Amino acid sequence: MASVANPSTFMSIVRFLLPKIGQCLFVVWATYTVAFLLIHALPGDPVLAALSVKGGDATSTDPAALDALRARYGLDGPLLQQYVVHFLDLFRGDLGVSIATGQPVVDMIARTFPHTAALALFSLVLGFVGALLFTVWAYIARPAWMRNVVTQIPPLGIAIPAFLSGLVLISVFSFGLGWFPASGTNGFVSLVLPGITLALPTGAIFFQVFSAAVFDAGASPFVFTANAKGLAQRTVVVRHVLRNALLPSITIIGLQIGYLAGGTAVVETVFSRDGIGRLTVDAVLARDINVVMGVVVVVSVVYAVTTLIVDALYGVIDPRTRTRITRTKAVSA
Amino acid sequence: MSILRKPGLLLSFLMLAVTLLAMIAPQLLAPYDPYASVGAGRLLPPSPEHLFGTDHLARDVFSRVVYGAGLSLTAAGLAVIGGVIVGSVIGLVCGYLGGAIDFVAMRFVDVLIAIPGILLALIVVATLGFGPLSIAIGVGLGTAGSFARVMRSAVLRVRSEEYVEAARTIGVRGSGVLFRHVLPNAARPVVSMAALELAVAILSVSALSFLGFGAQPPAPEWGALVSAGRDFVAIAPWLSILPGVVILAVVLSVNRVSRFIGGDR
Repeated sequence: MASVANPSTFMSIVRFLLPKIGQCLFVVWATYTVAFLLIHALPGDPVLAALSVKGGDATSTDPAALDALRARYGLDGPLLQQYVVHFLDLFRGDLGVSIATGQPVVDMIARTFPHTAALALFSLVLGFVGALLFTVWAYIARPAWMRNVVTQIPPLGIAIPAFLSGLVLISVFSFGLGWFPASGTNGFVSLVLPGITLALPTGAIFFQVFSAAVFDAGASPFVFTANAKGLAQRTVVVRHVLRNALLPSITIIGLQIGYLAGGTAVVETVFSRDGIGRLTVDAVLARDINVVMGVVVVVSVVYAVTTLIVDALYGVIDPRTRTRITRTKAVSA
Repeated sequence: MSILRKPGLLLSFLMLAVTLLAMIAPQLLAPYDPYASVGAGRLLPPSPEHLFGTDHLARDVFSRVVYGAGLSLTAAGLAVIGGVIVGSVIGLVCGYLGGAIDFVAMRFVDVLIAIPGILLALIVVATLGFGPLSIAIGVGLGTAGSFARVMRSAVLRVRSEEYVEAARTIGVRGSGVLFRHVLPNAARPVVSMAALELAVAILSVSALSFLGFGAQPPAPEWGALVSAGRDFVAIAPWLSILPGVVILAVVLSVNRVSRFIGGDR
């Protein structure tokens, strides 16, 4: 790693990363733009809608008071001005004020984010390990019909509605056996059932990628050689087959974040957990467009940053993809 | 017939046929009124008289599920049809015209695909208000991006085929080439994808209805039925789990049949 000090290598790394950072910014900007367009192109006045949900005499507010409210929630002035001002606010970490609670959206998201991050990470790990085990099982399963049965199981994880798997887990393990709490956000025990629920679709996606790569690798010359020279099956599976199957799984992390963002809304509702998903659901129920917008922007930032890290890591993990850096180095040398 | 040797496929077709019947003529399948108390008692467990038991208002849950098929599947179907139409138009125009329009529009399509579908749907529901139609619009918007991309690549492939060249050479007008020659030949991948997307749409619609954004009670929407039964999961788990299993069965059947349509027999 001493070569990092080499200025030309440093420059090539910068040249490798700069466009990716630009891509990151583009994703966030474009997401913000699409969300903004949607909110303002669809019929309906966000402030009136939120007030009507709050109910009471709030709906009969006079125009002057309504304008004051619009100004307070940053929903006044020409659209173009709103669009630009709110976008610039993002860079100061300002996501506006919640219409329903009056709190800064950033605070509401920051308070719930750790719970969701813990849940998402836990289910990613569970899904990853589960998919790996199923892949190995499917690879070594004999006879062929047995292998067929095994490969049919994981795709079920993506077809089963999260509320169904969650409620089944609750009735069996909470009310039936009493092993885990049915709801709440208290420590690791409360993480297990929602984690498993979310891990089903993530695991199914991982399995799809793993199994495709494993059966590809299984039919490849180097595995044939490894088998031919009499290596133990365990060694072949671990050293030769699995290693090649793990790489593609990294590239689908972005896809997984999409699934997790949607999945947490249902799972956190089923298990009555605090988190981004529940925050979003409550915001939609209150027609609180500012919070919904804030969540969308935060999810896009998480997505963009994860993609950036994955892209950067990929070159470290898989030497074959380093060509872009080495090529520029070779040219400059 | 080879289909008889595929029990899973046969079962899927059967399931879909029954579901379709429930959509068109629920009174033929439902033994009771979905809105009225049957008077037999509240929170009864499943029995031959009440296949899925009775809910907290002593209504027959099986009848409610049967009547719910109409609302839930119509919303999912509308979402996919809307997504196909919007996506196909974008993909067709982009693929056929190319150039700057194509570039700009496809970048927005990329973003539409990158935003998780459920978030898009939540934005739409928060803005438009609640109801099956809002859900359908939200879910449909989430699928439009992928349809646009598939349609565009199909159009790009077909555009350079000889029969399109020939049509253009003999002087067929642009719209004629597009609708007579390009569209019919580019439509196949979109159709097989629409079948797969229907399963996803059923899941999304029922999830959004479970969260309380769909038809308001007492309307028997599938997701809302699960959500209503959730309050009694400790004492009557079948109330929420059996409607959930019906959703799962329909999703699996749609998946299987759509793979069959897609050519994987």
